[in-house]
Amino acid sequence: MLPAAPLHALEIWSNPQAVATRIEKALGFALPVMNRSAGNDAITLLRYEPTVWLVEGDVAVIADTLGDDGALTAIGGGIVRMRLAGPHWRDLLLEGGFFDTSAAAFPAGATAATVIDHVGVRLWAESDDACIAYVPASYALSLHHFWDEALPLLGA
Amino acid sequence: MYQITCPHCGPRAQTEFTYERTTDSVVDPAGDTHAAMQALYTRANPMGLDDEIWRHTYGCRAWMVLTRHRVTHEIRAVKAIGPEALP
Amino acid sequence: MSGPSRSATGDETIPFTFDGNTYHARPGDTLAAALLANGVGLVGRSFKYHRPRGIMTAGIEEPNALVTVGTGGRTEPNTRATDVFVYPGMVAKSQNRWPSLSFDVASIFGLAAPALGAGFYYKTFFGPAKHWMLYEGFIRRAAGLGNAPTEADPDNFSHKAGFCDVLVVGAGPAGLKAALAAAEAGKRVMLVEQDAVPGGSLLRDPDPAIDPAAMIARIKALGGEVLLRTTASGYWDHNFLTLTQRLVEPGAVPPHGFAQRLWHVRAGRVILATGLIERPVPFANNDHPGVMLSQAVRSYVRRWGVLPGKRVVIATNNDDAYLTAEALVAAGAEVVALLDARAPGSGPTAPAGVQVFYDAKPAKVIGRKHALRKVTAVIGGSEHSFDADLIAVSGGFVPVAHLHMQAGGKLTWNEAAQAFIPGETPQACETVGAALNPPSAPAIAPAGKAKTSFVDFQNDVSLADIDLAWQEGYRSVEHLKRYTTLGMATDQGKTSNMVALSRLAEKQHVTVPEAGLTTFRPPFTPVTMGLMAGAGARNAGAHVRRIPLHSLHEAHDPIWQPLGYWFRPRAYPVNGESLQQAALREARTVRTVAGLSDVSTLGKFEVSGPDAAALLELVCATTVGKLAVGRGRYTFMCREDGFVNDDGTVWRLAENRYLLTSSTGGADRMAHFISYVRNSLRPDLKCSVVNVQEHYAGIALAGPQARAILASLIGAEPPRHMGYAPGVLAGVPVHVLAASYSGERAFEIHVEATHAAPVWQAIEHATRAAGGAPYGLEAMELLRIEKGHVVVGGEVDGRSTPHDLGLGGMLNKAGGFIGAAGLTRPALSAPDRNNLVGLVSLDGPIPEGGMLIQRAGQSPQGHVTAAARRILEGGAIALALLQGGHKRHGEELIVTSPTRGEKARVRVTAPHFYDAAGERYRD
Repeated sequence: MLPAAPLHALEIWSNPQAVATRIEKALGFALPVMNRSAGNDAITLLRYEPTVWLVEGDVAVIADTLGDDGALTAIGGGIVRMRLAGPHWRDLLLEGGFFDTSAAAFPAGATAATVIDHVGVRLWAESDDACIAYVPASYALSLHHFWDEALPLLGA
Repeated sequence: MYQITCPHCGPRAQTEFTYERTTDSVVDPAGDTHAAMQALYTRANPMGLDDEIWRHTYGCRAWMVLTRHRVTHEIRAVKAIGPEALP
Repeated sequence: MSGPSRSATGDETIPFTFDGNTYHARPGDTLAAALLANGVGLVGRSFKYHRPRGIMTAGIEEPNALVTVGTGGRTEPNTRATDVFVYPGMVAKSQNRWPSLSFDVASIFGLAAPALGAGFYYKTFFGPAKHWMLYEGFIRRAAGLGNAPTEADPDNFSHKAGFCDVLVVGAGPAGLKAALAAAEAGKRVMLVEQDAVPGGSLLRDPDPAIDPAAMIARIKALGGEVLLRTTASGYWDHNFLTLTQRLVEPGAVPPHGFAQRLWHVRAGRVILATGLIERPVPFANNDHPGVMLSQAVRSYVRRWGVLPGKRVVIATNNDDAYLTAEALVAAGAEVVALLDARAPGSGPTAPAGVQVFYDAKPAKVIGRKHALRKVTAVIGGSEHSFDADLIAVSGGFVPVAHLHMQAGGKLTWNEAAQAFIPGETPQACETVGAALNPPSAPAIAPAGKAKTSFVDFQNDVSLADIDLAWQEGYRSVEHLKRYTTLGMATDQGKTSNMVALSRLAEKQHVTVPEAGLTTFRPPFTPVTMGLMAGAGARNAGAHVRRIPLHSLHEAHDPIWQPLGYWFRPRAYPVNGESLQQAALREARTVRTVAGLSDVSTLGKFEVSGPDAAALLELVCATTVGKLAVGRGRYTFMCREDGFVNDDGTVWRLAENRYLLTSSTGGADRMAHFISYVRNSLRPDLKCSVVNVQEHYAGIALAGPQARAILASLIGAEPPRHMGYAPGVLAGVPVHVLAASYSGERAFEIHVEATHAAPVWQAIEHATRAAGGAPYGLEAMELLRIEKGHVVVGGEVDGRSTPHDLGLGGMLNKAGGFIGAAGLTRPALSAPDRNNLVGLVSLDGPIPEGGMLIQRAGQSPQGHVTAAARRILEGGAIALALLQGGHKRHGEELIVTSPTRGEKARVRVTAPHFYDAAGERYRD
């Protein structure tokens, strides 16, 4: 489990192209497309929904660009981040899952929202050696236990 | 278990989706009582293709209309619905 | 069988027990092979008649040799001895016998076989009920398979997702070839095989040109996944298959904690190389130990070096059994006769020394002490007997088309083979190999007595039972199946269906395809319950949802209350208090001083944007738009049909930002509903709805001292009733909402969950210093009942309208909300609807859930939704839904609960027992 981080939901409800251009100018990189991530050392944007981005980091610079076309809402209190590190993380996520985590289907940099052992989780393939899972805080211990128990199966 | 091609996420397992209702049972909030009751209680229920509203609830949370064959379970088409979105 | 049938070579290194006796197996032995090798021929008793049964097959189709494997919670009943590989220390037991396998008292029932024939159960049901009561005990004792274990299974079960371009089922010659070809073409391949080693029929009939091990190595080198001990057990929609994998053998202790795995596989294409199952031959006593399928005999001889008999009769209607003769002769057995049911000259050349009889079929076998002694055959019309200790039979072959049929595939009839062959399928699936080309095997009319010519060995169904069903008018194959229980045992008729169909067709004077075929359904082989449950085998199948302050509460050792998946403190007993005592003390503390409670599980939605109010006016049945910044109000939401869906509060935090709360139980439902309204009905609205249920922890602070306590903590005057103000408490930013559920002056403090602990601690400290205490759900229930607040799931039961609940006056008069149209239906405000009322007891406690009547014998006019007592004064009160209740205040009624044997006289009142005017919290 990782320490709590400032997380926000960024939703754009109108003029998405114009907002995207403003945000790109402010951040220095483009908003990621569906099921992809983008970011730098200060801020990471993960796209899980057509109109919503999960933003990790300081959102002040984005807030100024939104006008009446979108909003930021703090959600970090309800999400626990877990890093699944090591060569078998793709295999571990198949336990209790229904989502193809193979490198071909879920390459480094990709994001996906799916279900693991009946819990809705959001995944970010940080690299080929690690994946960050964004888990509802109430389920975090339970899911951590689930993954912990499955560890001896990996590579077996 | 179906495989549903989400317009935003590609092919995903049915587990991630929830069924809402057929398009002919959508109640227009601005409509009158008769129209609302028609929509709620008298649906076409065809033994064949039907348009159904589904949601990728445990995925991208977006809504879509599936044209699904209710006998063979073939999914003929999927169409996104919802606010305007970037690609 | 007498004595071991395999010479010891020193490889017999694996000790195991069967019915308490210790034996030794070789590596790679199935339990069946090991038992045969050790001279154990009798392994079970049959389902109804307790007839002695042995090992008939060498595969998963085994109907007879069902055993219980393992001990304690790992006990697995009804395991096929042919489908479990012996491991050191394995404990196996025979089933359905008492007191012992070789001397079974109930086998006397075998004499009563006519009484237990086809339709026995149905006929029993039609008789007088008392007869069934009499039979039931008898049947339950006599009929059955293994016993379910009584201890919990200590093992884990894995559910795992699999994805591939090509899934190949069966690692026989055809499957290996198909898998290798796909892997070489660059496809992502999964190859599954239920055996512990690849090869399929090659294990019985080796082909020097095919090397399974080398092919498997090549497939793996190309990135393919090869799963052994894995059965494709279900074929579902859109090329989705479930595979069941044995990670360890039944009953064994898994080193990694997992006994089995259920794979959920989505395949681009499926190749079924599932091969054939041999058909038995019906003749008298054909269920006796020592009657074995021909290919099974060959498997034991060649694969396991076991000779299941020394003097063998072979009975066949096809060429394949001649190979068994070769194998037996090569292994040193004597084949005393090869009975070929076909015309002279039909078969291939028999091995030297084997006498072939044509137009010959078995009529009966006789055994003694559970071993075979004699085979009687009808040869060219006359009877001949042979001394033999084994008869190897082959009645033809059945393609394993189960998965093909589950996929929705059609079957075509092959007359020469008397078999259904996989045909077209609507899914991306094809069958390859032997299942497409079963050997020619003509139909042969059975020669023996029908009564003991068994068809379904596991359910003790004989030819006579099929005849009886026919005689009693059961014509359809589906009726036949249900009447006789044919094919309904754990083997799903793998060896019996075709034999039975042939008999039915014969009776009907139609061809087999005209007689029809029953449907194959998943699973292909039995699946244990634990595997289905997966990780859910623990904790009643559910995760525990922890509230953010779980460990803080834990320090007070509360009584926990499961609420959906959540766990919330129900009460915090001190000094040995009972739940009721603690709850009453806590509620009194709230009424007189102050209490704090965890309300983190409330549904919470942050709605922002210029159209936020427009969306809320659609979702909520009350007005929202006129709410000033910094104000909130009670609200409720309706379904489209007009009934109340959920309730909560709505707050305007800023010009374009609102907070909507909902009930704990309704949180997920509301999240979905609001998303539907926003995205599906009104995608044009400029707004964002974010579920912040878990982002905020919620703490309720209630009681006459609440305002003073909070003022001291935030260093400012808290907002007045239904007001909102941001604040800082214990150095942490908080939202303060002034709302009362308890009926006292009260506040909800919402704080980002990760920073909630210091806020709770500060409030608890200040509250205790003022003489207050934390309170749990039970006290909250007492408080809200006394105050007359409804709860979703209680008074709001999906059948109550705003009018029923006394909320009609709050409806948005302008309409335009979800449910407005539905509500206009006259029946939804009819005067005789069940309305919310209060009840005051005129004598004792009011039974919760009790029915409301005016006098004994009357139909109920309503029911009690929540019962409690007055917190300070005492006396029983309740909330109830009563027919026409709004107009019946003052009436006397009886609350009766026949199931509890409790009754109370009550007076109907308004549903407010405490401070009806709200003077305690209004400003």
